Amino acid sequence: MKVRKKILNMLRSQSRKVKLPNPWISGGEFDSITDEFASALKNVKGEVYVAGNLDEAWEILSKLFGELEARKVVVTDEPPLNQVNLTEMFTNQQWYIVGKTNGDLIDFCSSADIGLTSADAALAETGSVVVGSGSGRSRAASLLPPIHIVLIPTSKLLPDIFAWTAKRAGTLASQVVLISGPSKTADIEQTLVVGVHGPKRFIVILYSDGDLQMIEE
Amino acid sequence: MSATIKQFRKKAKDTIEDNRLQIALEDATGRFREARVIALNALKDAEGLRDQFKKIRAATIANLAEYLETFERNAIKAGAKVHWARNDHEASRIVVGIAQSHNVNLVVKSKSMTTEEIRLNHALTAAGITPVETDLGEWIVQLADESPSHIIAPAIHKTKEQVAVLFEKVLSKPVPADIPALTVEARGILRERFLAAEMGISGANLGVAETGSIVIVTNEGNGRMVTSLPPVHVVVMGIEKIAPTWDEAAVWLALLARNATGQPLSIYTNIITGPAQSIDPDGPQEVHIVLLDNNRSKYLGTEYEEVLSCIRCGACLNVCPVYREAGGHAYGSPYSGPIGAVISPLLFGLKSYAALPQASSLCGACLDVCPVRIDLPRMLLTLRRDEREGGILPIFYRLTERWAGWVLSQQKIYERLAGLVRWLKATKIIQLFIKARLPELAGRSFREMWERGDVEE
Repeated sequence: MKVRKKILNMLRSQSRKVKLPNPWISGGEFDSITDEFASALKNVKGEVYVAGNLDEAWEILSKLFGELEARKVVVTDEPPLNQVNLTEMFTNQQWYIVGKTNGDLIDFCSSADIGLTSADAALAETGSVVVGSGSGRSRAASLLPPIHIVLIPTSKLLPDIFAWTAKRAGTLASQVVLISGPSKTADIEQTLVVGVHGPKRFIVILYSDGDLQMIEE
Repeated sequence: MSATIKQFRKKAKDTIEDNRLQIALEDATGRFREARVIALNALKDAEGLRDQFKKIRAATIANLAEYLETFERNAIKAGAKVHWARNDHEASRIVVGIAQSHNVNLVVKSKSMTTEEIRLNHALTAAGITPVETDLGEWIVQLADESPSHIIAPAIHKTKEQVAVLFEKVLSKPVPADIPALTVEARGILRERFLAAEMGISGANLGVAETGSIVIVTNEGNGRMVTSLPPVHVVVMGIEKIAPTWDEAAVWLALLARNATGQPLSIYTNIITGPAQSIDPDGPQEVHIVLLDNNRSKYLGTEYEEVLSCIRCGACLNVCPVYREAGGHAYGSPYSGPIGAVISPLLFGLKSYAALPQASSLCGACLDVCPVRIDLPRMLLTLRRDEREGGILPIFYRLTERWAGWVLSQQKIYERLAGLVRWLKATKIIQLFIKARLPELAGRSFREMWERGDVEE
């Protein structure tokens, strides 16, 4: 490819090998990583619930469904969401389980009230959750519905983005998104509006799964 | 597009005399300035992180060819197709070609300065393809058939009333000039476009060589829509926007949003590594990455090399006394403000952009805030030297500069002239000729005071 060669040759003619600095060490030291996460997320207009265990988390979810008048819910096929029978547990809702339920995924997501997912990690400093694509994990599920709820164990909490990149391993999913709040814009007269193209509400239910001690060193 | 001295002065004057625009510019840049300071103070060692970032970018650019090849190799391994474009025409042609080969009629775009640089919308429209901007500010500017006036906040110059009028034309119904209502309308209209488009086009805030990934950050979610819903996703990225590994990318992301808008992270930090995998229930079937040179490679190994470190955060715009009054349109380029004053001449030609290196007080505020500590003032001076050596400025400017340079180097003559100015000001004669409010001058020069023994050691 002629253009590729031309560009690379141009660059190579002036190339110097300069050593990159050593990786930046994460700075995060918190009294409570859970509190840090909660306060960071609330700062960006996200909503946080902290449950003592998974059972409590389901109860919180049930209450939320009532408050939000949720009818149609799209849910990803991943733990802990696929460890219970959701259609039995929540009979008032119409469920679409990604990869399992028949029918068009995008159509359902377009008219769903809630997208329910878990996450691979949560970053305390910025109030972010890390959501990836994959088997049973739909991009549209956390994007199209006006409300996105994340159910995630506290063992997945990390101090910040440096801690997350430091422990990287294996290959990346085709899409990984760090979500740090509900969508927003200030493009018109610098006035903040929450809820633009992505969800208007972003709710995280953290539940303790006993492994928190390992993280809080 | 260009910014000759005449063009810059005319557009700057129009903006300066527009009171509403002045208020909008000061409001927007002021918020960004304050938010940036708060966001950086929240970091444990912001200055250390900036030093780290400068080293990272310098080392990356110095060896860019190797990192680009690594990026390409890993992107291809992940299933993406990588294209190389020497200039704006080539890049546009590649993107239009991809669209045509997929029979694309409708394209949704997320905000991308490189696509402005290559005038992609124009090329798509000429090929009978409809591009729709989906970043709210960019869409507003597109509807108004204008160009963006700020790298981060494209519609700074528009009022909500003006926006309502634009939306009414699209919807063929009256729309209230109420910002939440306008946003709801935009959400509805653009959602239809996201779902109907056959192709999504985005830029990339950075590419990560280690995994062949690209990263796009947005607050609205349009970046995710554009890169998840249409079956084909095309990325246009400058060749200099590479981070070698995720360690460097973490530093980049830790500083980008803090410097751009004062957020710890943008709402959506979207990392894309190839198209949807076979196990994915949704996502694009094809991802194309167009690597754009357009005169960037020319500056490797030159005194302008460090400008390639720029991450397009816009922090320099928000502090620049010239940008804050003249506004973005005066620069006649997708890149305005201090960074635009340097890269517009470098990428698009010094003659066409002769005004920009001159349009600076060299106050250094840009260098002060730049997350990568790019020495823009030094390069503005170097560009002025290039202008002088190239005989680019009009003769009046060249002669004035020569005389001024001579006077300033002749101490006695300078002192006499300074004394004359002081006298003219004291007797108010100078006010007959110059309407602007002049700064107060000291009664005597420091040199005089020293010689008279009036200065305490």
